[in-house]
Amino acid sequence: MIRTSGLTKRVPTSEGELTILEDIDLHIENGERVAIVGASGSGKSTLLGLMAGLDTATSGEIWLHGRKLSAMGEEQRALLRAQAVGFVFQTFQLLPSLTALENVMLPIELKGDSGAGEKARDLLGRVGLADRWHHYPNQLSGGEQQRVAIARAFATNAPILFADEPTGNLDTATGGKVIDILFELNREFDTTLVLVTHDERLAHQCDRMIKLAAGRIAGEESRVEAAHA
Amino acid sequence: MPEASGLQSLFTVAWRLMWRDWRGGELRLLFFALVLAVTSVTGIALFTDRLERALLLESANMLAADRVLHSPEPPPGEINAEAVRRGFRTASTLSFTSMAFSDTGNMLVAAKAVSDAYPLRGEVITTMQPFTRGAPVAHGPPPGEVWLESRVLPALGLAVGDRVFVGETELTLGAVIIAEPDRGQGGIVDNAGPRLMLHMDDVAATNVIQLGSRVSYRSLFSHDDFDRLDEFEQWVRDSFDGNYYIRDVREESEEVAEALDRAEGYLLLGSLFAVLLAGLAIALGARRYSERHYDYVAILKTLGCTSRRISSIYLLIQLQLAAMAVLLGSGLGYLVHEGILRALRASLQVDLPPPGAQPYLVGALTAFICLLAFALPPLLALRETPPLRVLRKDLTQTRFSDRIPYAFGIAGSIFLILWYSQDLVLTSLLVLGVAGAGLLLSLVSLLFLASSGSAGMKAGNAWKLAMTAVRRRRRHNVLQVMVFAVTIMSLLILGLLRTDLIADWQAQLPEDTPNLFMMNVTGAQVEDIEAFFAENEVDANAFYPLVSARVRTVNGAEPEPAEEAADGEGGGSLLENNQLEPADSADAATGSGESADAEGRRVRGRLSRRQVTWSNELPPDNRVTLGEWWGDASRPGFVSIDEEYADWLDLEIGDILEFEINQQFVSAEIANFRSVRWDNMQPNFFIIFSPGTIDHLGATFLSTVRLESGQKLLLNDLIRQFPTIVVVEVDALIEQIQTIISQVTSAIELIFALVLVAGALVLLACVSASLDERFHENAILRTLGAGRKLILTSLLIEFSFIGAVAGVIATLGAEGGLFYLQEQVFEQDFQLHYWVWLAGPALGTAIIAALGVNSTRKVVNTSPLTVLRRVV
Repeated sequence: MIRTSGLTKRVPTSEGELTILEDIDLHIENGERVAIVGASGSGKSTLLGLMAGLDTATSGEIWLHGRKLSAMGEEQRALLRAQAVGFVFQTFQLLPSLTALENVMLPIELKGDSGAGEKARDLLGRVGLADRWHHYPNQLSGGEQQRVAIARAFATNAPILFADEPTGNLDTATGGKVIDILFELNREFDTTLVLVTHDERLAHQCDRMIKLAAGRIAGEESRVEAAHA
Repeated sequence: MPEASGLQSLFTVAWRLMWRDWRGGELRLLFFALVLAVTSVTGIALFTDRLERALLLESANMLAADRVLHSPEPPPGEINAEAVRRGFRTASTLSFTSMAFSDTGNMLVAAKAVSDAYPLRGEVITTMQPFTRGAPVAHGPPPGEVWLESRVLPALGLAVGDRVFVGETELTLGAVIIAEPDRGQGGIVDNAGPRLMLHMDDVAATNVIQLGSRVSYRSLFSHDDFDRLDEFEQWVRDSFDGNYYIRDVREESEEVAEALDRAEGYLLLGSLFAVLLAGLAIALGARRYSERHYDYVAILKTLGCTSRRISSIYLLIQLQLAAMAVLLGSGLGYLVHEGILRALRASLQVDLPPPGAQPYLVGALTAFICLLAFALPPLLALRETPPLRVLRKDLTQTRFSDRIPYAFGIAGSIFLILWYSQDLVLTSLLVLGVAGAGLLLSLVSLLFLASSGSAGMKAGNAWKLAMTAVRRRRRHNVLQVMVFAVTIMSLLILGLLRTDLIADWQAQLPEDTPNLFMMNVTGAQVEDIEAFFAENEVDANAFYPLVSARVRTVNGAEPEPAEEAADGEGGGSLLENNQLEPADSADAATGSGESADAEGRRVRGRLSRRQVTWSNELPPDNRVTLGEWWGDASRPGFVSIDEEYADWLDLEIGDILEFEINQQFVSAEIANFRSVRWDNMQPNFFIIFSPGTIDHLGATFLSTVRLESGQKLLLNDLIRQFPTIVVVEVDALIEQIQTIISQVTSAIELIFALVLVAGALVLLACVSASLDERFHENAILRTLGAGRKLILTSLLIEFSFIGAVAGVIATLGAEGGLFYLQEQVFEQDFQLHYWVWLAGPALGTAIIAALGVNSTRKVVNTSPLTVLRRVV
């Protein structure tokens, strides 16, 4: 489903090139839930951006949903995202001028599918916001905004979900509830989940945990292994 | 994805985003700027369209027709036949000087025979008692009747119903003429005495017109379709090899033409400024809108929206916005023009034709051009926003240069200027001038805002905090200062120009403007006439000597006039028309006949004969444009030439002209060129000699005087005492010009108000453009403990400083711009406006400080967390 080979990302700086990721080889199966963990600056979010086709690698290959990203232009990658990818971000990334309902409807409409309103209402009900559909993001709490973002991520039945620090802006209790909802919908929709987090407890709820350090894979641990540890 | 549903979903998303942005206030500035552009252009286009028609119609009253053909002999019958065939209304008049007799006396009169259809435009005002208010009639006298001007009646002891003898026929006095529409037109023949009007059918019986008599035939044409009038004019020109010219009021009267041209020049300038300022507001509004939409686009892209679809969404948003702006702006434009017309109802004395569709089309096109040039580039650049921005806020689009929107804006501005002015030279000059001024002003503002290189925000002191903020945002502030400066400069230019133009117009025709011209005065009569006026407590003006002269050679060679003057130069001012008479004025006074040369082509007139003068003093409203005026220390042998006349003959300072005067040859060296105000109703001359050059060749004298309506009877005494002098009355012409000036002044006031609104929008847009950064920075300062007073004071200082710099630059630019416009375009004398040097910076400081602090004071009234949440 997702595969990277020799993935490297360097960026130019005033002091020369800075290597953010180097030689990353990954393989994530359909329906698998994978956590990418690491300290700040380890390259987690960059890796997520590359795998989701939001950014391009300096070298190496990425296959997403059976398509080779490095062979695609931005337009083709956008179309691939529309068909196959959902996102949940730390900062929610809801459009502030749209209501909760409209935010969830947006990807469905952009995809050109019918019944956007009905489906969006259903999803908002599933995340516990049935009575808040007409509220704007600034009228919702952080946890509620993240639930809207989760509803939006599942709106197009995308087979792959990328989540970047989904609880990073939330308190522990709220974060816990949000993660429960995320995992519940993930199971229900049978999506592949790639979760970037620095929270190892959260990571342990995934099938597999990939540790990053200084732009390289520092280790890997599956839930089975973790349970035995 | 299915195409149809994709398109529909795009519309849905675009509509929703636009509606939500509107509710959130994001689009309001952009929308109002667009509405303002459409309102200004539609309103001004509707107004100028209808005003132009109104002025032409009203001016046509001065001709008693839309077009006139002059000739010294009956014009070819085909011309009239063709006019009738084309559905024109036609009439004719025949002017000649004659004596009118009663049982008790006689008087020299300016006789005019008119056909049944006269007048085609305007009305003749008649009454039954002299010197009373009359009533309009739409025709001239019937056969067998004469109508006379008031002052003839007491002079000849006549009353309505009495017999009047003209030549060999006897006619009945049917009415007293108070006014006739085309009284101001024509030369001496039409103005040599009080009016006697008779029917064309009675002319033959008078037996006054003999072979060689001085007569002036006028064929009048009228049609409601101006285009068809133009086509007919061209047909006459083509069919008769340029021997006959049909003219409108502009060509007939240089005085009216100048007033109309200046008015249109100002209206054009006003509408240009309004649109360009609105364009600037649109550009700033669009830029801010696009900056606030980087995140939107990044999110849309992560949701799978392609760049092409992003462009489509924002294009649709703009088109929807423009469509609404066009609808609203057109409606407001209509109201604006109705408002102007209501204000002018008192002075507009003609029924205006209903407005056509073209002004609305012009308004709508302007909206789309503004959008294309000013708004779309930054919005389309949004498509390049990287989707990764959802993870990294600092990423923005990089493929589009920041300068591209400017390039589009400049190209759009040039196109708009060219479109409105239809003048490539003016556009080029304006563009070069603005580019040069822009560069210079940027350098000046950069200098003002030069960095001291010190580090930190200096947040302990409001003054230092403000100054470091000014320096840190230097690049952005230069742009902001430029925008403020351009806006204030535009307002200053239009404001000052408006004041100067109106003052200049009003000064040019003050209350005591002379309404009588006296010509053919001999040297011996000058003192007696002065005494006559002194006795009757009338202020007489100076007497100018007049000699009829012809340019014979230029530097010993035949003069070679430029071709262009041959076309459309046939009219000239009333005074000039009189001076064009090739025969000297003594002929005219005795009514012995009028040369064919005088009517028609000014080219030949210019070369054949001029009425010239000599003087130590530069006449009022004349300005030396090259060379030096001789003044009191003059020497004989020099001549001063009107600059247009000099251009026409390609003359240079120092050229030797040989003149033929009274069959003698005189040479003179060109000492200077002058600009002459033909519309000031004062004696004006193409050629003035230095004293001592032609004094010995004999001259008659010309002077002017103002007689109030109650003093008009004095004319009879004057003419009785000095029967050889020629008196020309110009009241009708003065009144006409004053009406035009009054109408146009009101229009100018309203257009200035529109430009003010446009300027205010730009200022608001420009302040708003920098709000986010200021909000963010000040919110951080507040979280770090900076007090409300410190932040407010530093904001006040920062905006005041920027406003003051913009004010100084605007003043510099305004005076420079005014110098060019007044000297080159409006032909006014430029004078420095000293008070503006204080008012400009003060205005800049006050407006920008008030706007800036008012817009940003929310930052101290809202919790820092809210601000940070909103901005981050």
